[in-house]
Parts: sequence; structure tokens; C-alpha cells
Amino acid sequence: MSPEPGPLPLWARLLVRVQTMLAVLAATVIVVFTVADVVLRYGFDHPITGAYDVVQAMLVVLVFHGIAPVFDSRANITIDLIDHLLGRRGQAALVRVSDVLQIAALGLLFWAMLAPALQAYDYDDRMLELGLKLWVVWAAALSGVAGSALVAFARLRRSSWDGL
Amino acid sequence: MAPPILGAVSVAVLFAMLFLRVPVWAALVIVGFGGNWALTGWDSAFALLGTTPFDTASIYTLSVVPLFILTGGIAAVSGLSTDLFRAAQVLLSGLRGGLSIATICASACFGAVCGSSIATAATMSRIALGEMRRAGYADSIATGSIAAGGSLGILFPPSIILVIYAAIAEQSVPKLFAAGLLPGVMLTLLYIGVAVVMAHLRPLEQPVAPSASFGERLRALRGPWQFLALFSVSIGGIYAGVFSPTEAASVAVAGAIVLGVLSRRLSRAGFTGAVGQAIRTSCALFAIIIGANVFSSFMVQTQLPTLLADTAKALALPGVAVMALVIVAYIVMGCFLEGIGMILITVPVFLPLVKSFGYDPIWFAIIVVIVVEVGLIHPPVGMNLFVIQAHAPDVKIGAIYRGILPFLLAPLALIIVLLLFPQLALFLPRVIYG
Repeated sequence: MSPEPGPLPLWARLLVRVQTMLAVLAATVIVVFTVADVVLRYGFDHPITGAYDVVQAMLVVLVFHGIAPVFDSRANITIDLIDHLLGRRGQAALVRVSDVLQIAALGLLFWAMLAPALQAYDYDDRMLELGLKLWVVWAAALSGVAGSALVAFARLRRSSWDGL
Repeated sequence: MAPPILGAVSVAVLFAMLFLRVPVWAALVIVGFGGNWALTGWDSAFALLGTTPFDTASIYTLSVVPLFILTGGIAAVSGLSTDLFRAAQVLLSGLRGGLSIATICASACFGAVCGSSIATAATMSRIALGEMRRAGYADSIATGSIAAGGSLGILFPPSIILVIYAAIAEQSVPKLFAAGLLPGVMLTLLYIGVAVVMAHLRPLEQPVAPSASFGERLRALRGPWQFLALFSVSIGGIYAGVFSPTEAASVAVAGAIVLGVLSRRLSRAGFTGAVGQAIRTSCALFAIIIGANVFSSFMVQTQLPTLLADTAKALALPGVAVMALVIVAYIVMGCFLEGIGMILITVPVFLPLVKSFGYDPIWFAIIVVIVVEVGLIHPPVGMNLFVIQAHAPDVKIGAIYRGILPFLLAPLALIIVLLLFPQLALFLPRVIYG
């Protein structure tokens, strides 16, 4: 079992709440658009143009913003086989190292994703059916990664070595 | 360093990181990116790292992952799983081992709207464990049947693991769902067979419950109509070609909400909890899928999978022997690794090998899922066993281990059947989709 972390600062709790709301909103849009598309297609022979694009775009929002509460609750999947061999301090140390590696990985992802996002902006790339500008979706993804990195950082700062 | 050696070293580093508690997604990203950097240089590796997360998160097929997890969550808080168990309990009353069999049947059915083994095991622990203990069942057989039944959740459609396999192996989700159905039914029957045998070998551990009347049994059949409606419309819609998997999953979510509200069993708190849990679970999975895609692109470039296939052919190993080795490797890894992570790490390595011996990737998916099931219930670290213990801390882990051991024979028997008769998995996809 992971050491219990302390509460996050207010700004991080707000960030998690906003990102969670965005993910829930994205999931809602996916369900509503897809069900409406099915009903309109079979009921009125009039499918919604761009439903496919909406699902793709909203899935990006769901994934990159929905990951913040995962970092908040340290719910990322780990192999905890050696936990019983370590004391609480040992576990807390490994959790901290993992936090640092995760923040580094998120930072690297953000940095790497900037270039294709800027390319999408420069070339005015658009989604096929909707014509939605792709850089908007990229911006949603980048803000999600940045927010998650901040939440992970706040979680690291509130960790204690003895897990209490 | 030669690419295949770099690949092998990277796999070792990956496993070391996993054992040192680095989250699976981060270990995959770091090792995959580092490996790509060593092989192809910074620019190429950096460009790949920049596009992979976005490309993965916008895969239309994967939208079913959060949606089916949400359906399962709403179904659980709306009491659908309780309906299933109550119906099976009444129908099987009067039979020795009836509650164990009811648990297995209810788990199989609940898995068919949930798609997750851990969620199924957690739900059935909450519902069935208390009932079985009150009825005088031994802790070992009670927990064994819950753990075994719970593992069925990933074989029946809408299996989340099959959706993820489809994404990384570029296979059709409806075909995989169809392929899982017959082996799922067979595994359910095998688990029931184990429960029946155990009931006769140790009758005192599974007392007979009073038999229900014909009228009670008839009334019990009406209980799970909501589940039947949900399953028929969503999964039936996929098989009938009416819905794509994403459409079916969306319809299932909407249907579960409507049924929960109409029956007044879906509370605001229950709904909010189910949504939050679905978001966290699915996003944790997406993080691993993103990491796995970074890692698998590196694996492909190392040519390690090709080397494995060439080595197996140079040794003149027959296909069955290669499959046996792959299955043993999975069972060993299943003792230590989480199921989806294991699939995402290994499929890019093993699938080319398996395909080079002429095996069908759809059939291989079913084999892999069954082996993951074994991992979920295999001591010492089967996840379902811990889920049950978390719900019943007073049950000794030794009793849970003893209870699950006889049930382990069932998936192993099914693997042998599938090796001998691949048609068991391939028949339905061919009949339905040609």
C-alpha cells in the first residue's frame, strides 16, 4: 500500500477539479453525440455529420485531462511486489522517485508534443469531416499534460518520507 | 550495440523499473524513448514521442474503453449485479454448490456488460461473499468461486483487454468480441464443473440451500431483465452489425443511466462515483497504452521479434512448442505483472513470432486473454484474490489461495482445447463476419 499523501494545496485541488470536469464533459459529449447520431441515422435517416470527429476530439480531451485525477490519487498502475519487503520509509522513497520520473516523463511529453502542435497551427490542419482546426485539439492535449504535471508536482511536494 | 541486444537489455531495464515500483506508463515511455534515441537518434525519437500520445488518444476504437467501464460502474451501483446474483441464487437453490455456481453465472453475465475482471470480482465480492458465508460455505470455496467467476469479465464481450489488443495488433474489435464468446461460455461451464466436483468432494464446505418453489423460480427469471435488455441492445447490436463498438458502448451508457433512473436505483452519489471511477480507470489505462505504443515502436526497430521468430525456426521448433513456450512465459509473467500492462509490453514482441508460425492473431488474442485470466487468479499475486481480501479482510489469504487452486485447472484445460481446436475461437468470427 502506498504511503498516504497529505492534502494538495488549493490551486492544485482546483486544477484537478477543473480537469476532471473537462474529462466528464468530454465523456458526456461522446455519449450524447453518438447516441443522437444512432437515433437520427436509424430513426430519421439523417446521421450527424462529423460525429466521428467529435468522438476523436473529445477522446483526446478526456484522456489528457482525465489523467490529472489519476496523478492526484496516485492511481497509476504499478507493480507493488516489493512493498512487503520495504518499510514505510522505503516505500515512500520509491514513491518519490517514481513521482520524479513521472514528472520528468510528463515534461518530456509536453516538450515533444509542442512541435507537432505548432505544425498543426502553422499548416492550419483540420479534422476531415468537421473542419475543426487541429491545433485546438492539440492545445487541449497540451494543457492536459501540463496540468497533470503540475498536479503530480504538487503531490510530490506534499509527500512525506514516513508516509504520515 | 546490435539492435536486438539493445532490445533485450531494454526489456530487462523495463522489468527492473517495474519491480522498483515505477508506474507502468512511465517505465514504458522512458525505456521506449531511450531505446529509440539510442537506435535512431534524438530527432527521430523526439518526433515519435511528440506524435504518439496524440495519435493514441484519438484512436476512435479506443473510445469504447471509458464508455464500457462507465456502463459497468453504473450497472453495479444500480443493482444490476445484485439482480443477476439473486436470480441465479433462486434458480440454483436446492443444488449442492448452488451458490458457487450462481456466483460464477452471475459473474459471467455481469462481465458481459462490464468488460473488466477486477470490477466484476469487486462487485461479486460485495454481493455474493456475505451470502455464501451466511449459508455456511467455507471461505476457501466462496472466495475461489468469486475470484474464478470474476476473471470471466475479460473474456466475454465487451472485454476491455480485447479492445486494447485490437488497437495494438490492428485487429477488428467486433471479430475479437465474437471470438471471445464461445471460449467464454466454455470457461464458465468448466468453472461450474469445478464447483460441482468440489461440492461432491467436500460436501460439508457447500451446504444445500432450501429449494425454491417453481413459482419463485419463475419470478426470479424476471429479475435480471434490465441486464438482458442492456446486453441484447449493446453487444447484440454489434453482432447484428447495427452498431459500431463505440455506438454500442454509448448506447449502453445511456441505457444503463435510463434504466437506473427509471428504477430509482441510481442515486446522484452513485452516478458521480461511477463516473469519477470510470474516468480514473480508463485514463490510467490510456497512459499505459500511450507508453506501450512508444515502447512497441522501439521494439519493432530492434528487430527482436524477428530474431525470436528466426531463432525458433532455426531450432526447428514445431509451432505447438513455440506456443507452449509463449504460454509458459505469459503464466510466469502473470505472477508478477498486471494483465493489461503485460499484454501491451509483450504482444508487440510475441505476435510477430506467433504469426510467423501461421497462427491467427484473433485466436492468439483469446489465448492471451485466458492466460491473463490465469494471472488474475494465480497465487501469489493474482489481482482478483487481493480484491476479494480487500472486501473481506477477515478471510485469510491462505484460504483464498486454497480455494482458487482447483479453479486454475479450468483455464488451463481451455488453453489445451484451444490449442487443439482453434475453431472454438475462430468459428463465430468467420460465421458472422466472413
